[in-house]
Amino acid sequence: MTPPSPAALVEAVLLVSPRPIDRKSLQTATDLSEDTLKTALTELESRYAPERSGIVLRSVAGGYQLATNPACAPAIERYREEARPAPLSNAALEVLSCVLYMGPLTRGAISATRGVNSDAVVRGLLERGLLSETGTATDSPGSPALLATTDEFLAATGATGREDFPPLDSLVGPEELARVRERLTGASEAPAETPTNGAA
Amino acid sequence: MSEARAEAQTGARGGRALSDFTVNLDVYSGPYEWLLALILKDEVEIFEVPLREIVSLYLDSRPTEAPDSLERDTDFAGSATALVLLKSRSLLPALDPEADDDDDEALSPEQLAERMHQYLKIKRGAETLRARFETYAGFHPSAHYAPPRSGKLRIRQDKLTIAARRTFSRLVEPPVEHLGPITLTLQDLAAVIRTSLAHGPVSYETLTEKMDRLHSAVTFAAALSLAYEGRITLHQPAPLGPLTLEPVR
Repeated sequence: MTPPSPAALVEAVLLVSPRPIDRKSLQTATDLSEDTLKTALTELESRYAPERSGIVLRSVAGGYQLATNPACAPAIERYREEARPAPLSNAALEVLSCVLYMGPLTRGAISATRGVNSDAVVRGLLERGLLSETGTATDSPGSPALLATTDEFLAATGATGREDFPPLDSLVGPEELARVRERLTGASEAPAETPTNGAA
Repeated sequence: MSEARAEAQTGARGGRALSDFTVNLDVYSGPYEWLLALILKDEVEIFEVPLREIVSLYLDSRPTEAPDSLERDTDFAGSATALVLLKSRSLLPALDPEADDDDDEALSPEQLAERMHQYLKIKRGAETLRARFETYAGFHPSAHYAPPRSGKLRIRQDKLTIAARRTFSRLVEPPVEHLGPITLTLQDLAAVIRTSLAHGPVSYETLTEKMDRLHSAVTFAAALSLAYEGRITLHQPAPLGPLTLEPVR
């Protein structure tokens, strides 16, 4: 039997994984050198170009993943006889936004930021695999669990990492913030913005 | 938004005003009365029940000419109000009795402005995420999960942790005292069913003919529970038709 090419090895490993695989794991599984792996991935990217393939090679969540071309999604959904999952609710998106930009966070911190109890929403996101418990807040009473976004979340949002998201402070302009402050405090000039931890 | 519809046959059974009001929601489909029981037992999450749709369904199916319409409306208003109260209380952050009194103090306008700024940013971040989820929703991963080999079943640490947390911890339950004390349990009604089945199959209608609606609802839940455990079998040839309980030999 002819030994498989490096691209074939990488392709086979990617095919059997539903999750993105990072370069190190690919190297370990295929026993390829870093340079050979890089060449193989370039070859696969070319072979699975969206213009001519129903399968595409995605670079998401810090790894690589074979997935169907989104242009073919309607056919897949008809074949599976299932509609696309319902979009996430506003509450779920707000919780994800909290955890993405300010995380890891405890459930209490998420609820405090949003101003409403978010435990049920968090539970749903844990079950969908978009959030996971990554540790405990040992300095808080009862050591509550800390929540962070997952690789599934990054894959679902097409991001390679948190740096792909716009910084939190860039999402709202200073004029809009000044208007909010003016309305609440009656002050005509907004004080200097306090820096906030952004994703980038 | 869920596609909901009401299936109400008005006046089908006298004496139980809402017994024939059924709802069809994304999270639940069936009699409205059982939905209430499931919510109180935490089997259905109150957050996921669209109360506005339930009210619309009721109004759409409301029998204005029925002789018991006033009783029916009163029953519905009472239960719907309790659900609204339950949901609104559940949405509030859990009160910590040992929290510092400082937390109860009203926020200054500056503090409020800071919080609003933060929330506004988070909300914008959520809008960004919505757009990204929509953009990338069409990618379907290869999804070839390799089946575990015999004797090498893999246990995922993260899933195990979540399951353990859910088993050993409970959220602070919202107060339900205003809904009345618990006067009967599934175990009680399961015992009644087992006794009734000692002489052979029995119909659900016969079993519950002298019961009030609460006992009837819990008896049905007990029958489902026994059927799930494999102790009895349920036969209902047609939807909403006669239901027969049979012992498993």
